[in-house]
Amino acid sequence: MLKASAMYIVIIIALVIGLLCSALIVAAFFYRVEYQKKFRYDQLDNNVNSGVNILLAESDTSYLSGGTFSLFNNNQDSVSLKRTFWGMYDVGISVAFSQKDTLYKTFSIACNVDSSKWAALYLVNKENPVAVSGQTTIKGNAYLPNGQITTSYIDNKFYSGDKRLVIGHKYSSERDLPPLSVKRFSNFQSLMHERGKVNTSLLVNDSVRASFTMDTRIVNFGRQPDTLKRRHMSGNIIIYSDTTLVVDSSATLEHVMVFAKTIILKDGFHGSCQFYACDSISVGERCTLDYPSCLAILRLDSNKTAPQARIHLANNCRIGGFIFTYEKSKNERLPIIAFDKQVKVTGQVYSQGILETTDKDTVDGSIFTSVYWYNNTGSRYQNYLINVTIDTKALSPYYLSVDLFPVAGKKKKVLQWLETK
Amino acid sequence: MAGNKVNMKAVVKASTILEVVIAMVLIVVVFSIAMMIFANVTSSSLSVKKIRAQAILHETLLNAEKTRDTVSKSLNVEDFRIEQDIKPYNQMSQVYDIRLTAYDGNQQKITELEKVILINHE
Repeated sequence: MLKASAMYIVIIIALVIGLLCSALIVAAFFYRVEYQKKFRYDQLDNNVNSGVNILLAESDTSYLSGGTFSLFNNNQDSVSLKRTFWGMYDVGISVAFSQKDTLYKTFSIACNVDSSKWAALYLVNKENPVAVSGQTTIKGNAYLPNGQITTSYIDNKFYSGDKRLVIGHKYSSERDLPPLSVKRFSNFQSLMHERGKVNTSLLVNDSVRASFTMDTRIVNFGRQPDTLKRRHMSGNIIIYSDTTLVVDSSATLEHVMVFAKTIILKDGFHGSCQFYACDSISVGERCTLDYPSCLAILRLDSNKTAPQARIHLANNCRIGGFIFTYEKSKNERLPIIAFDKQVKVTGQVYSQGILETTDKDTVDGSIFTSVYWYNNTGSRYQNYLINVTIDTKALSPYYLSVDLFPVAGKKKKVLQWLETK
Repeated sequence: MAGNKVNMKAVVKASTILEVVIAMVLIVVVFSIAMMIFANVTSSSLSVKKIRAQAILHETLLNAEKTRDTVSKSLNVEDFRIEQDIKPYNQMSQVYDIRLTAYDGNQQKITELEKVILINHE
């Protein structure tokens, strides 16, 4: 028996084939779109990295006001580059865009270390001999008065360290410290004058994150002493105070810069930021500042009658980064950086005046100081290194310095990736 | 007509041949359209060769950055010939413009890659 239903069968087969074809077309379309997107993003990634390389190679003054240009004079290779002063280091911003897609990277820029200038200890030659006692270790090259160092029995302690005294080369130091680079201080000066009016509106939110691709957010406490607590602040933020600013351990600061007359960090504070004070910085017990942080006394105006500048680190502090004092004109009372017991610094200490240590302090990195004091329950011994460890070899081989210090090399590198998209 | 019961005792109407012819024409049209679409999709999809060439160019670029190589040269990697062209970028001393182009066995350009790289001679 013959059933003449060929038309129906053909229509159904045509429908099935049509469905398969449309599925094929849709799949191919999406595959193509996604691949083109990936290809575009690969290209953008290349362009962003090209921008990063240009920023690392260019001089310090390039791209300060930003600039947009075509990398290879093609249609899809536009980048926007900017370099911003951010305290101890610069922040580079590289943005690549094509049609509606944008990729960017913000990063801090630092310098490699010039090994020919680097020293574990640089103690200015004031004709005072240097002696070691107790369990003291100096690993790395040392610049000492007349290039000499001896052992001593002092404070009821014999020297019990390595027989070589300095595990490295000994050189004769100059009468003055190698100077800090003043180029960066003009940037600090302008930054300190850009604080504007009293403004604490940013503190309305308990958590603020500011991108380096946007304008800098500012908090200015003015002449009102204040305590920063239960706040999380991160990124492109500068905090100003004309008087004392207390930072509680409940506050978290990341990449933020703080300028104040006096800064007090409460016990147990943890963050990664830069603190600049005119008079003093007091760091409480068990505080931890992650690399690359900075504690500095900056006196950019000549004021010979100002009180003694002081950075004090209480017991068991852990600092990663830089500690230094700078006075434009020499004060009658030398600035002092004082460590209590068991303080550990991973980075660089540069004191134009005095560095005072107590028992079991460790500096994994470098110390440059004019005068060295050892403090033990009220007794002070000048140029005696007692129960202190200075170990430059304990520093990471990837450690980067900043161009402010005399040991900085010329090669610029990425210190930290701040934001990427 | 299709779908109607065939009465074996009656005479079958001779419309089936026409119906079959139309059905055949229809199916030929539908199949030819489907084949055209398939051919188009296949030809316009990305070739594996291009993707492989791009991966090789990325690897070559990484090598050039790592070895701080600033010499223009021609390389043979797998089935591809890679032309590496390096020149200083905007007369800057440490920055170079590297352009990599991949050609296949028929000397046809497959893909290219360009980047600004930083080379410190220390």
